[in-house]
Amino acid sequence: MDKVGYIARKEVRHILRDPRSLMIAILIPILMTLLYGYAINLDTKNIKLAVLDFDRTVDSRELVAKFYNSGYFLEPETTPILSDPERILKSGQAHAVLIMPSGFAKAVTNFSQYELGMLIDGADANVAAATASYSRIVMGRFIEDRLPSGFELPGVRISQQVLYNSDLESSHFFVPGLIAVILMMISALLTSVTIAREKETGTMEQLLTSPVSPRQIIIGKVIPYIALALLDAVLILVFAVLHFGVPFAGSVTLLLFFGLIYIVAALSLGILISTLVATQQVAMMMAQLVTVLPSVMLSGYIFEIKNMPAVLRYVSHIVPARYFIRIIRGIMLKGSDMSVLWGEAAFLVVLTVVLLAIASKRFQLKIG
Amino acid sequence: MVRTILALMKKEFLQVIRDSNMLRMVFLMPIVQLFLLGYVASTDVKLISTAVYDDDRSGLSREYVRSLSAGEYFITDTPEISLLEAERGFRESRYEVALIIPRGFSRKLQESKQVKIGLMVDGTNANSASIALGYANVITRQFNERVTGFSPPITLRQKRLYNPEGESVYFMVPGIVATLLTMITMLLTSMAIVREREIGTLEQLMVTPISTTALILGKTIPFALIGFLEMSVALFLGVTWFRIPFAGSWGLLYALSFLFLFTTLGTGMFISTISTTQQQAMFLTWFFAIFAIMTSGFFAPIANMPRSIQYLTYLNPLRYFMTTVRGIMMKGASLDVLYPQVMAMIIFGITIFTFSWLRFSKRVK
Repeated sequence: MDKVGYIARKEVRHILRDPRSLMIAILIPILMTLLYGYAINLDTKNIKLAVLDFDRTVDSRELVAKFYNSGYFLEPETTPILSDPERILKSGQAHAVLIMPSGFAKAVTNFSQYELGMLIDGADANVAAATASYSRIVMGRFIEDRLPSGFELPGVRISQQVLYNSDLESSHFFVPGLIAVILMMISALLTSVTIAREKETGTMEQLLTSPVSPRQIIIGKVIPYIALALLDAVLILVFAVLHFGVPFAGSVTLLLFFGLIYIVAALSLGILISTLVATQQVAMMMAQLVTVLPSVMLSGYIFEIKNMPAVLRYVSHIVPARYFIRIIRGIMLKGSDMSVLWGEAAFLVVLTVVLLAIASKRFQLKIG
Repeated sequence: MVRTILALMKKEFLQVIRDSNMLRMVFLMPIVQLFLLGYVASTDVKLISTAVYDDDRSGLSREYVRSLSAGEYFITDTPEISLLEAERGFRESRYEVALIIPRGFSRKLQESKQVKIGLMVDGTNANSASIALGYANVITRQFNERVTGFSPPITLRQKRLYNPEGESVYFMVPGIVATLLTMITMLLTSMAIVREREIGTLEQLMVTPISTTALILGKTIPFALIGFLEMSVALFLGVTWFRIPFAGSWGLLYALSFLFLFTTLGTGMFISTISTTQQQAMFLTWFFAIFAIMTSGFFAPIANMPRSIQYLTYLNPLRYFMTTVRGIMMKGASLDVLYPQVMAMIIFGITIFTFSWLRFSKRVK
């Protein structure tokens, strides 16, 4: 145990002596939280809508106001040239163009047949779908408002209730997931690089000739990084709650406990990578390819797993971030406890144990 | 001069080819990214698992549920459940939407009255929650028109241009092309120069009668060519494998990409002047690249970002290139609509490239 302590102390000195790396390990998570928290916002609430109003009546202007006051649509920043609606979309000045031929006011008062047109920029399928349904909703509301008083439109009305994230803030969804991505990045990247450095500079052999077993080396090297990663996790959590106002409905202890397990999984991946490569540079590239990319793409962090092709859905089962992201979102946003999270927890634990076993086996084989 | 540059270029190519790890990364990265993003990066909201609590149990209520699940948006194959189970299912993330149909649903409809139903939505994923609510509203309106026979006289006809099928991949592939070109040219330029410095061969080059101009050109042209090669691989796979339509002009796309390269090569050179080891160069490039990609509108629309960040995006050259590539590929845009983007790229290209050139030659001397 003493020997592990010595190795750990040596590693801590390495970290402290290289302030640039330490800065990267602490500053980058915070910067990324800010950047991702702000930049990944898929709320389709700010659809730029240009209006070609050929009716120019009080009624038509009222409908336009209804669109802009709905919370979904915005006026374009630059006044578009109105002669060519398609050009407005082509240049990206607006996402959609509402075309109101003359006769709108008459149709509204007489309830006669009338058709409005809307051209939608379909390039971003997500925004296009939202534009299509929101504009129908706004239209429907306008017509209902114009019905004679006392007259009730027959049919089904939806009364909606949003649970958990009732303000529909997407940062509340993305920032907790970000913890999983950043922890994976920091833990796997730093461990693989630090072990690769010992190999590259030849100091690994020196360590091995000393009376320390490979297992002690690995545990000693990894402990400081566990502490560093936990520190990162707490930093991001504090930032998420204080800066982004993400609610924390569940238990902090439970979250940190799972965070620890997840960090061990990430570190095991880092050790595994270090046994496969000879230089720091390749270690870094590989860590990105094997850990960061899947944690972002295949974990359900941004893109929903159920929409993926079957092969990638299967692959996602061996991505630790998949389980940790569900756990963290459950605990923070829904206040879930073990009674609902046991499935994810079991998978995460099994995956961690397997990764740890493979990594230490390979490490002893290749290096010991 | 030309011969010196060619010799330097040859050396650079030989170095890339001889390092098998490097070569693999250079060609594997774009393919992996393209396939991963092409298949995964779908922000479509569909297959929403929906719990149904039907207290009316009538033909009409069942028809309503059927019309809701007719498209590919709502999946209601879960058996009818109690309210308590719905609550639990929400927390276990088994359901995203719960539909509650009250008793008297069909009676009120038949009497041409209004009937309220409850729709609970899991708001965790804000985006899909609001889109799901939008779908439910539209489907309900259609159901009402069909069942009550009452349809509003004023209608809205919508037409989707450019990507009427709503395929996410058509939108993502042009974005990947733009990010790949940025990433690879920046990374290779910054690392190649720093490597020479790190292993001491930059001094050797300096004592040879090679001018700074020749050195810079010899160190950037090869990476520009590799960048174009990667871009072509990605475009080829996009068009043949993902069958994305290409609406605009290939010539224009390559010409404007060439214009954009001045920015990325310049940034690469700049990074090389402020880092001493390859590792630093790599971290810095990575940081610049992530920042550029995140604020370019690649994943999320710029209009959704906070005001202050929106202003910041005007300083991001990739923003203009992203609009350009998507405009040309998806909308068939040409210079008459792209001129603001082109002007911005020219200004950024000249500024960044000149600045880095000056800094580089000062550092070398």
